[in-house]
Order: sequence, then structure tokens, then C-alpha cells
Amino acid sequence: MPALRTSTPSRAKHPASAAAPRPGGYAGKLLRVNLTTGKIWSEPWSPEDMRELIGGVGLGARILYREVPAHVHWDHPENRLVLATGPLAGLPVWGTGGLTVVTRGAGTDGPTSTQANGFFGANLKYSGYDAIIVQGVSRKWVYLHIHDDVVELRDASHLLGKDTWQTQDLLSAEYGLSGHQLSVYSIGPAGEHLVRFAAIQGDYGHVASKNGCGAVMGKKKLKAVAIVRGTHGLAAADPRGLVQAADDIAHDLQTDPTARSLYEYGTLPGVVNLHKLGMLPIKNYTTNVSPVDLGPWEARRLREGFDHRGHQCNACGMHHCHMQVIRSGPHTGTLVDEPEYEGWSGAGWTIGATDPQAVSWLNTELDRAGLDVNEFGWLCGWVMECVEKGYITRAQLGFDLRWGDVEGARKLVDLIVHRRGLGAVLAEGVKRAAAKLGPPARDCAVYTLKGAVPRGHDHRARWHEMLDTITSGTSTLETGNPVHPTEVGVPARVDPFDGVAVAKMVAGLRGRLGFEDSLGICIFTTRTRLENLCRALGAATGWYYTVDEAIRFGRRTGAILRACSLRCGITPATEYPSTRYASIPVDGPAKGQSIVEQWEKMLDTWYAEVGYDRKTGKPLPATCKALGAEWLAKELWGRSR
Amino acid sequence: MRVLKLTPDKCTGCLRCELACAYMQTGEFQPAKSVIRVSPFEGHTSYAPYTCTQCAEGWCMTACPVGAITITAAGAKDVLDDKCVGCKLCTIACPYGTMFYDPDTRKAFKCNLCGGAPACADACPTAAITYEEVATADWIGDFAHERAARVLAAR
Repeated sequence: MPALRTSTPSRAKHPASAAAPRPGGYAGKLLRVNLTTGKIWSEPWSPEDMRELIGGVGLGARILYREVPAHVHWDHPENRLVLATGPLAGLPVWGTGGLTVVTRGAGTDGPTSTQANGFFGANLKYSGYDAIIVQGVSRKWVYLHIHDDVVELRDASHLLGKDTWQTQDLLSAEYGLSGHQLSVYSIGPAGEHLVRFAAIQGDYGHVASKNGCGAVMGKKKLKAVAIVRGTHGLAAADPRGLVQAADDIAHDLQTDPTARSLYEYGTLPGVVNLHKLGMLPIKNYTTNVSPVDLGPWEARRLREGFDHRGHQCNACGMHHCHMQVIRSGPHTGTLVDEPEYEGWSGAGWTIGATDPQAVSWLNTELDRAGLDVNEFGWLCGWVMECVEKGYITRAQLGFDLRWGDVEGARKLVDLIVHRRGLGAVLAEGVKRAAAKLGPPARDCAVYTLKGAVPRGHDHRARWHEMLDTITSGTSTLETGNPVHPTEVGVPARVDPFDGVAVAKMVAGLRGRLGFEDSLGICIFTTRTRLENLCRALGAATGWYYTVDEAIRFGRRTGAILRACSLRCGITPATEYPSTRYASIPVDGPAKGQSIVEQWEKMLDTWYAEVGYDRKTGKPLPATCKALGAEWLAKELWGRSR
Repeated sequence: MRVLKLTPDKCTGCLRCELACAYMQTGEFQPAKSVIRVSPFEGHTSYAPYTCTQCAEGWCMTACPVGAITITAAGAKDVLDDKCVGCKLCTIACPYGTMFYDPDTRKAFKCNLCGGAPACADACPTAAITYEEVATADWIGDFAHERAARVLAAR
């Protein structure tokens, strides 16, 4: 394949607007790639667009809305794959390697916004780009090479069939670069075979996993994006102010009681803490009581149970991401990425596995294959339950698969990623596989009627997250967990089983996550007051940015994604949990609590609070106007309104 | 004299030092122009920061034909921009690879201990880089040797 060079626009061709100089923090260019024609070009974006869209999901939502019309389904060549960073990526705030993937995903055939960290954002911006926007379908498998102004599509036939870690190993060896000098974000065999919950994985353990974004990349025959650490500089409007804001954020993370455990142990404490609240899903929602002593699952012991090596993201001081070496069992000595809570849950508790060494190994196997650990957990747990109950036979699977069988689960991974046997059905994701098998198997499966799945919690004890997952425009969390809720006028605590109070909380917190996911920074290093994040953004860019503007921005982004979602045919009629997802816990702290009885009331409350039309699901004209998106009101409701 | 003490076992490879250094040296966040560099070992699993040790021999000073390298009050060897002619002899003379050349300015550049308050030590979140009154030593020799041996043994 001929190598293509970008025609990097000269200053003369694209003079900067005299009225509005480029805000600090930005690289200033968007990289466009058309895989059908092989054309690669860069385009500047205006300071006005930067202020309105920030980056990340804000930028991605605009591109999706404008460039992916209703008939462009997830597998259509014109679907866009947006790999975006934001203005804080590459700057010295903690955890600034952020990648946000926005596309029309294979899971729900609707919008996706899913994040990963590592060094993607930093390396891309040092190369001179704020985002990559991919369109078209390549004739042959290719990968995208980026090294400052040299951007090429290169033959990827030798990478085909390789897992995501092998892909990075091979490219690192070819380039003669190691460590963080080269970022590789790729799909594994799962994405190549268009598994509906295939993920994009990069820099050994960082996964943008939701809604089959890996299948979109696979459909485009784009195996990987390889970015050599660029040599360009990023300027901040007020560097001292930026460093001060970064120091304040770091101080908050180290000392604030709500963030400190994250600082010390990342998401490891989740297992034991969530078990105490009935939120740890065990054996596919069949129980919430651990069958084993949780002592070895305390964060400190979980971490000390492995030989550790630091593996932080760009400029990050958290004691969060680590590589670890398996100490016992058949995979002793294997180097893996320390699982997040989601990994301990999806590759462990959900499938009844309780040996940390085995779970940790399986978690990295999933990352390497390029599967979303959450959906794999719900799928594998469901298959295990079906095998136990006789709904799926050993003959159908080709092997036995009992609760907690990690080696068996690995065999299931192979079936799925190569679409072999029953794997062809399972590769379609939980909802479609459950529909195919029908009742009674179907009624044991955890999914949303939109076709997505929850993250790694038991939402029957975490109602706010079920409501958020199901009403979101992206198939996964759009509001997220309460972080300093009183800062935006939401009570610090609400009764977790009072549907109306929960719905008001979810509605009240909307906006923050969309803002965070546009900055090019990690969700875990933004667990500080919004005021601090606005200060960091302001110092980087030179804008006077307030908490109000941040919330309005996040909600506007949510409204645009909601409009995209409706255009994809995802209506309020699909805003329901599956039978098992909404079932009543039989034991544990949430025993007897029934969300399904309060569901309609929760939806009514949420719709009223967020200002969306309950019937059509559309953001109301007044809502659009208040969010600074009158254009959206006109497009959704017509000019007469 | 206070020196930059490097403890590679503590380094997590976050590259925060490179970012802070580049900012102090150039005013921009541009790790490519940092004079402290984090080297990876064993692929992506361990890291060590590395910079000028301000060695007593000062080969860069000896090699410089125009006397552009001087010793600052902090005890650092520093390049005088107005004297440097960009001949790169110092980058060849330095046995540690810690003299750099900037094609944009056409001058040599190196660690000058930020005038006595090194930004890298300040930025390091794990105290892998500290600024201390200790004798200069080979901070990463054993670390590198151990890892190289492991890599070779695995082949």
C-alpha cells in the first residue's frame, strides 16, 4: 500500500483568526482519515468551536450528530470513529493521557462514548492533533501510523489475528521504541471478527470498551493506531495557574476521604466495600453473599498478593494502575495488568470465580482478546447459569462450564472471538444471544432492552446507576457517580431505595461526567470539586470557565447524544431493564428491594427533571434553549416551535 | 553540593518529570525538549529517570571550543546560549548521553538544576527523584544490570 503523507496546512493557508487566538492547551488540528480513499488530511478547528465543544465527548457528539445520519448504521462505511483527547491531555494535571472514543456502536447501533487512559492523549497532542476522525472502510487491513507530521496508513496483514498486547509488542519492536515512546491502541481478534462487544485496548491495559467500538474499528479494517511520542510543545495560557490547579487537585485526591482510597489503591477497595452494600454481583445476580472469606480481597492484601510494577498514565501520581505478576496456579510468572474493580467483578465474581490470581489472569486475557470485560462477565455468568440449569448443554458448548471455572471461561473467549459454534451466537452480545435462546434461558440474562449491559455492579442495590445506564444517550453511564454532589445543589445522601429521590439525584448530577470526559483526563483524577477542574481548564485555555458553564456544557452534550440516539431508533420504549436485571435480590443487604415497582415513577421523575419529553424522548425546546442549543430545538421540533 | 538522587525502583514511568523539566527549560509542555529522560526497561514494566550527574570531570566543558559551558552557583554545568555556536562537540564528549542539541535554537542544552530548585524533583509523585546533599553515585547501574540480565535470561 502506498504511504500517504498529510498535507499539513501552512499558516498561510489557514490563518488564525485575528479576533480569537487559539486557546492554550490545544494542539489546534483535527486529523481526518478516509480509509476508503486512503486520503489523510488535517483541519484546524476554530477557537469558538473549542469553547463550545471542548474536546472528547463534546467534540465527538457534534461530529456524530452532523456526520452520521439515521441510515448510517454502525457497520456503514460512513460511520465515524472519533478518537478524541481534550485540552488538558499532555499537560501536568494528573492522568492526562485521555482517549474518548465516540462512534455509532455495534452493541446498540446507537451512540457510544467510552474512555481509556494511558498515553494516547499526550502522544497525539505532542504530534500536533487534538483528535482523529476516521471514516470509510479500507480494502485491506491497515494500521494508522502517526509521527508528528508524518501520518500514513500502513499494511497490517502481519498483525492480523494478534492480540492487543502482541500487536503493541510487534510494532514496538519494528519501530525500535519501547516504554511510552510509542502508544498503540488496537483491536484484538474480537474486533477483527466484529464481536458486538469488542473493545479498543492500548498501552497494555487501558480499554475503551463500551458498545462494540472495537467492532466498528474492525469493520473499517483498521487494526491499530500507533502514535510515536510527538515533539511539538503545548502552551498554557497561564502555566503557573495550571500548575497550581494541578497541585490543588492532587492534594484533594490524596486527602479527601471520598478520593483517598482511589489514590492509594485505585478501584481495588470496590470488591469488599460494594459487597457490604449488596452491590457486588455474584454468579450472574443469583446471590449477593460471598461464599468465601473476603479477607484476601481487602485492597491492601489484593495488591500485596502480586509482584508489582508501577504502570502509571501520563503525568499521574495516583497509586492506581500497575502491572502485576501472577504468583500461583497454572499461569505463575505471567505478566498481567492489575484488574480494575470492573475486572475483578466481570472476570471474577459475576462468573463465580474467587481466586484473585486466576481472575487477574483472565482479566488480561480479555483485554488481550479485545473484549469488554463487563459484557463478557454477564455473558459468561449467564452461560454458566444456563449450563447449571440445563438450558445450555455440554454438547452445545463442546466443553463443561461450571461456576468459577476460569480455564473454561478462557475457552469461551476463544469460541466468541472466533465465532465458533455457540460462540457465533454469543458474539452477538447478551441481549441478542438471550433472544436467540428464548425463555427460560432469556430470563436469566442481565441486559437493557436497548441492547447494552450494566457495568460491573449489582444495580438492584445501586438504583441510580441502573436509571443512568438505561436513560443514557450512550448505552452506558452518562451521569456517573456522585462526586461532591452538594457543589451542584444535589443532597449529599439520598435513600438509595426511594425511586423518586434517586431519579432526582441522577437528573441533578447530569453534566459533570460529560464535562470530565471532554477534558482529555482520567475519570479517577477528576474526583475533586468541579471548581478545581474549571480552574485547570481556564488556566490551560485562557477562558474564564465556571461550574455553571461546565454543567451546561455537559448537559448540552447529553442532549445532542440523546438526539443522535433517537435518530438511531432508540426510543423511550426501550428504557427498561431485562427480567433478571430488574429482579429482586434474594439475599444480602438489598434483599427484597424491588426497583421494578418504582421504575415508571423513576422515569417520570427523571424526564420531568431533565426537561425531556416523556413520550418522544426528545429534549424539550426550552431545555435546548437553556443549554445554549437553540439550533437543536429547531432541528428536533421544527422552526415553528 | 546537592545533587539529583535517582531511585529507579520508585519510578512508575508517569513522565511527570519530563513535563515539568520541559516547562522550566522552555516555557512549554514539550517532553521532547526535557533534559531528564525516563528510560523503559523490560518493555513496558519498569522505568528509570536519567539526567546529567553534574560529573566532576565535566567532559562537556573540556570539549567545548568556545568556553560556552560554565558552572553555576548551584554547582551545575550550564550552557551559555550567547556563547554556544551549536557545534555539538559536547554531545559527543559526554559519556552519559545527557548533553542535547536543539535544532530549533541551534544550541546545546542540558540539565542546569533549574538554578537550584529542580522542577523534576518537585514534580515526581513517588520521590524517585530527590534533590539531596549526597555524593553522586551510579544510581541506575545495578537496576539496569538486573533487568538486562532478566531480559537476556528470558530469551
